[in-house]
Amino acid sequence: MSRDPTDAEPAGAPAGSPDDVLRVRNLTTRFFTEEGQVNAVEGVDFDVRDGEVFGIVGESGSGKSVTALSVIDLVESPGRITDGEVWYREPDLAAEFEDDVPAAVDGEFVDVRRLPEGVRRSLRGPSFSMIFQDPMSSLNPSVTVGEQIAEAVEVQRRASANPRRTRSRTQGYGLGRLLVDTLVPGRGYTSEASEARAVELLEQVGIPDPAERADEYPHQFSGGMLQRAMVAQALAGEPDVLIADEPTTALDVTIQAQILNLLRDLQAEQDTSVVMITHDLGVIARMCQRVGVMYAGQVVERGTLADVFDDPVHPYTEGLLGSIPDMDEPASRLEPIEGNVPSLLDSEMGERCYFADRCPKAMEDCLRPIPMYDAEGSDEHETRCVLAVEEYDEAAALPDGYFESEPDSASESGSADDPAAGEEVSTGD
Amino acid sequence: MADSTGPLDRLFGAVDRVRGALTVSPRTVRNLKSEYRTSALSKVGVALILVVVFMAVFAPFIAPQNPTTQNLDNGRLPPLGFTQTEQQTQTQMVNGSIQTVNTTETVNATLAHPLGTNSLGQDMLARVIYGARTSLLVGLLGTSLAALLGVSVGLTAGYYRGRVDDTLMRFADVSLAFPSLVLAIALIGVWGRASVSVPDPFVVAGVVDPVRSALGLPTPMPDTFVLPGTVIVVVGLVNWVWFARVARGEALSIREEEFVKAARALGADDARVVLRHVLPNATTPILVLATIQVASIILLESSLSFLGFSGTTLSWGFDIAQGRAYLASAWWIATVPGLAIVLTVVGINLVGDWLRDALDPGIEGEGGM
Repeated sequence: MSRDPTDAEPAGAPAGSPDDVLRVRNLTTRFFTEEGQVNAVEGVDFDVRDGEVFGIVGESGSGKSVTALSVIDLVESPGRITDGEVWYREPDLAAEFEDDVPAAVDGEFVDVRRLPEGVRRSLRGPSFSMIFQDPMSSLNPSVTVGEQIAEAVEVQRRASANPRRTRSRTQGYGLGRLLVDTLVPGRGYTSEASEARAVELLEQVGIPDPAERADEYPHQFSGGMLQRAMVAQALAGEPDVLIADEPTTALDVTIQAQILNLLRDLQAEQDTSVVMITHDLGVIARMCQRVGVMYAGQVVERGTLADVFDDPVHPYTEGLLGSIPDMDEPASRLEPIEGNVPSLLDSEMGERCYFADRCPKAMEDCLRPIPMYDAEGSDEHETRCVLAVEEYDEAAALPDGYFESEPDSASESGSADDPAAGEEVSTGD
Repeated sequence: MADSTGPLDRLFGAVDRVRGALTVSPRTVRNLKSEYRTSALSKVGVALILVVVFMAVFAPFIAPQNPTTQNLDNGRLPPLGFTQTEQQTQTQMVNGSIQTVNTTETVNATLAHPLGTNSLGQDMLARVIYGARTSLLVGLLGTSLAALLGVSVGLTAGYYRGRVDDTLMRFADVSLAFPSLVLAIALIGVWGRASVSVPDPFVVAGVVDPVRSALGLPTPMPDTFVLPGTVIVVVGLVNWVWFARVARGEALSIREEEFVKAARALGADDARVVLRHVLPNATTPILVLATIQVASIILLESSLSFLGFSGTTLSWGFDIAQGRAYLASAWWIATVPGLAIVLTVVGINLVGDWLRDALDPGIEGEGGM
C-alpha cells in the first residue's frame, strides 16, 4: 500500500476551498455508566468537503465510532451528545427552517442538532448514511438482501417524491401499514421500481447474478458479498455524506482491497462525501484526501494526507506511523506505542494532554489543557500538541514514571477516590 | 412474486412472507429434521398431537355417540374389557318378615360405548373427542392472546429500555407474584362466565348426518359448540408475563445487533425497526415458549373446568369433576378424561422439547416455563 498522497483520488473540491458539506464543531458525547461518566468524544471539530474522503484514524477506544454515531445522531442511552454543532449544507433544508428554527440556520447551512427529532430521522438515509464494520451482522438475517436494499431505495424515493416539509410524516412507516403489508400478500412497502433499483445497485457493487442473489437471505452470502450488499444499501439513498465505520476490518486482505476500490469508484461516480473511520493507516493513505487523528476522544492532529503522513507533529501520530512495517527499510523491530489508551472515565481524566502519560516527549508544559495549534505544512495542518509551538526541551521533560508515582494526580476532582484502592495501598505499607 | 397475477402467486407470496418472518432458514429445517430423526420422543409427541388435532377437527364424524345425549338406563357402563359388578342392598318383604338381600349385578361393557359412559349415560369416548376441541381451542386462542399481549409489552420494554422497561416489567413481576389459578378465578369472579356458541361448520354444511348414517352411527350431532370466552381471555391475561419476559430478553439483545443500527441509519422509525427487524429474529424462542404455553394453558383450563369456573360442560376438566364422586365405583369417568389431558400435555411438551432442541440449543437448561 503506497503512502504517497498523490496516489489518492483527486477530490472534487480543491484543498482549502470553503465548500464544506459538513462542519462538525465541538461535538461532545458522554456515556453515563455505573462506573462514572465516560467522555467518549471530547469537543471534536472537523470538516467534510464535497466529494472528498475524510479519514478519521485512531486506536480502538479512541472515540472514532462514537464520533460517527454522534454525527448521524444514533448515540444511545446511556450515551448522550451533550454539546456541539453539526452544520450540514443543504439549501432546501435551510430555507425550510429559516423561520421556524432561525438559530439552526446560517446561510445554506443547517445545524442538524437543533432540528426536531423527526426531521433528523428523515435526514438519515437520503442525507447521511452509514456502513458498519461487521458485514455478517449488518443485514437482517430474516429478510432477503434484495428486499432490504429495496426498502432503503423506497425510503429515498418517497422522501424525494414529497416536499421537504412533509418528509418526516409521509416517509414514516406506521404500525398499521406494516401489519397490512405483512398479512396481505402482494402489498409490500417496496414498489417494483425499488426492487429493480435494488438489483441494479447489487450489480453496481459487483455481485454476480444480481437478480437471483437479491432473492437470497444474508446467510447465503459470503462476508465480502455482504459488505458489498451493505455498500449498495448505504448508497441506495444516494446520501450526501456516507460514514464508513471500519468498513474493511472484518474482511480478508484481498476483499478489503476490492471493497475499498469499490467505495472509491462509487464515491467518485456519485460525488458523495465519505467519512472513512479506520485504525488502518494503509486504508487512510489509499483513500483519503484529509485526515484527522483521534486520541482519547479528541482530534489530536488534523491536516492533508501529506501533512499527517510526512510531517507529523504530535508524538501520537508519529507513534502510529512508527508502528506499521516499512517494506523499503525494514527495521528489526516494530516500534509500538507504549501503554494503553486511557479509560476515558471523567474522574480519571486530568487537566492535561491525555497522551502525556504515554508520550516519549512529555514535558511540564503538557500538564495543562492543550488547544489546537497551527502546524507547519499546509494551512489546514493543526495539532493538539505543544511541540507545534516549542522545541522539545529535555530539561523540562517529565521524569520517567511520573504518572505511575502519582496515580491520583489525574483525579484532582476527587469525586471518585476509590476507597478500596486506598485501603489496598495502606495494607501494602 | 413481484408481479402477482393469479391467486396461486399471491398464495405463494404469502407463504414466502410467513417463511421470511419466521426465519425458517434451510439450516433450521435441517436441524428440525435431524433432531426429529434421532429423537424417538419427538415422534411420540408429534403422533400424540396429530391424534388430538384429528379428534378435535373431525369430532362430529368420529364420535360414536352424541356426547350430550343422556341415557340414564346406560349410566356408568364400564369401558371395553372391563366388567362392573354393582352390589345393591335391598330390603324386601319375604314371607312377612323383613330381610336384607344383597344382590350382585354384573354390568358388561358394550361396543356402542367403547370407553364406557358417565353417570348420565353419556358416551365417554364422544366426550373425550369433543373435549379435545375445547382444550385445543382454549389452548391455542389463550396462547395467542397471551403471546400478543406479552410480546407487545416485552418488545416495547426491551427496545426502549430505561424507564419504560422498568415500569412495564415491574408490572409483569407483580402479575407473576399471583398464583395463576387464583388470579384466573378472581378475574372470572369479576367478569362472570361468558360463553360463545359457535356453529359447528360440518353440521351446518349438512355433511355430518349422511356420513354418519352411512357408517351406521347415531345422529344427530350437536350443531353448536360452546366456546368458553371468559376462560380464554383470563388464561391469556394470566400467562402473558412469560411471553413478555422472553420477548424483552430477545429485544434487548437484538437491538444491539448491527442491522438494527443500520436500519436506523437508513431512516427507519421505531415501529419499523421493532416489527421488521427485532420481532422476526425473536420468533424462535417465542415459538418454543408458545408450544409449552399451550400445554400449560390446557392444564389451567382443565383446572378451571374442574372447579366449575368454565363456561362449557364439554371439557375434560369438567368430566373429571363429574367423575370425582364415582371414583370408588366407576373409576373410568374421571380417569378417561384425565388420561386425555396427560397424553395431550405430554405430547405438546415433547414437541416443544423437539423444537427447542432443534431451533434454540442455547435455551436448554434454563427454567423457561
